[in-house]
Amino acid sequence: MPTLENIKDVWKKQVDCKYKFSKEELFEMMHLKSSSAVKWILIISILEFIIPNVLLLFSDYKGTIEFYHKYELTGIMEVYFAIHFVIILYFIYRFYKNYKNISAEQSVKELMENIIQTRKTVKYYIYYNIAIAGVIGVHIFYRVFHSEVFLEQLPEDANMTTIWIMALVIFGFVLFLFWVVYRIIYGFLLRRLKLNYRELKKTE
Amino acid sequence: MDLYVKPSFFRKRKNTVPAKKQSITSQKYSGQPLKRLLFFNSVTNRLFLLLINKSTRGVTRDLEKKFVADLEKHQNIIHKVCRTYTNNEAAHKDLFQEITIQLWKAYPKFRGDSKFSTWMYRVAFNTAISLYRKSKKSIDTGPIYDNLKELEYQDYNDEKDRQIDMLYKAIHQLNDIEKALALLYLEDKSYKEISRTLGISEINARVKMNRTKSKLKKLLNP
Repeated sequence: MPTLENIKDVWKKQVDCKYKFSKEELFEMMHLKSSSAVKWILIISILEFIIPNVLLLFSDYKGTIEFYHKYELTGIMEVYFAIHFVIILYFIYRFYKNYKNISAEQSVKELMENIIQTRKTVKYYIYYNIAIAGVIGVHIFYRVFHSEVFLEQLPEDANMTTIWIMALVIFGFVLFLFWVVYRIIYGFLLRRLKLNYRELKKTE
Repeated sequence: MDLYVKPSFFRKRKNTVPAKKQSITSQKYSGQPLKRLLFFNSVTNRLFLLLINKSTRGVTRDLEKKFVADLEKHQNIIHKVCRTYTNNEAAHKDLFQEITIQLWKAYPKFRGDSKFSTWMYRVAFNTAISLYRKSKKSIDTGPIYDNLKELEYQDYNDEKDRQIDMLYKAIHQLNDIEKALALLYLEDKSYKEISRTLGISEINARVKMNRTKSKLKKLLNP
């Protein structure tokens, strides 16, 4: 029976492990493709960078432009787009820098921190997207609800406050769903790592 | 149709390119030196590329050989880490493979500041704790493992074997960080090395080690 006093002796008796790979097998192995978690984090992160923009591309472009013209939103939308573009570039740069920092020869804690940091950049990107969608959305609502086109076709007994509340609740719910889906993916990717990270930092 | 007329510079280029080509392809007169020059150029370019390719390929091959030799010599370390973090053969081999890939990826950066075995532990722990994805389905290990040799335990008697098995069973019940601590303890690593490998302070390493040891003691003598 091994006890704490003699486990080192027991351990040392383990002269050779059960398996041994030959040089040829090792050579073949080292050229196989990695299936590390970081690779998955990279793939999913890139998708998360692309998807919001692809959604924009595939939306009804002409209809949107006509809509902007109708409610005199073209100018402000161009400003939003320019800002959005610069911010996306910044996020991609940060993400790339973080990803480059990940290396298997760091200390266990450093590696965990770098992986978490890389994911955090994507997290902030998603939050930013939700925030800007919220700002632009409210702006559009404001313009539409104050336009003559809209007010003319409004029934006389309509209450503006109710319309605002309904619009905001539905819009907020859509953004909330987006956030929930994102949190699930985020948690799924990093749950184990975060547990280990907390464990490592515990008594510090 | 309009597009072809409007940009004038585009048209010019379109006209000049075939003209040049004609002078190169029609032999005997003025085009000859240019043709020779171009031919010479392409040959030297190709030779140059070949040379670069060969030399870099040679360098990688040397590095590969050195790496495989180092790896073979120290593979016991990886096997120990694999046996600590997995509990079946398929997973053991899968993790071993991933550690090998990660080691090879990081190998060009290994400068020998630390011992090869220390560096190897670090990469192996990182792979086992943070990089490796545990897959639940049984892994198709492929042809590599078909002729895997199982070493015979000439020096082992059943009792020793049983003791080692029990020790691993106890270690399996620790969490990922404690497993690393237990392994480093069993391998007689100093607190300085442990703190560097894990990236925590020496004091924290001592505190954690004491907790791990008492947990292990309970697991061994319930």
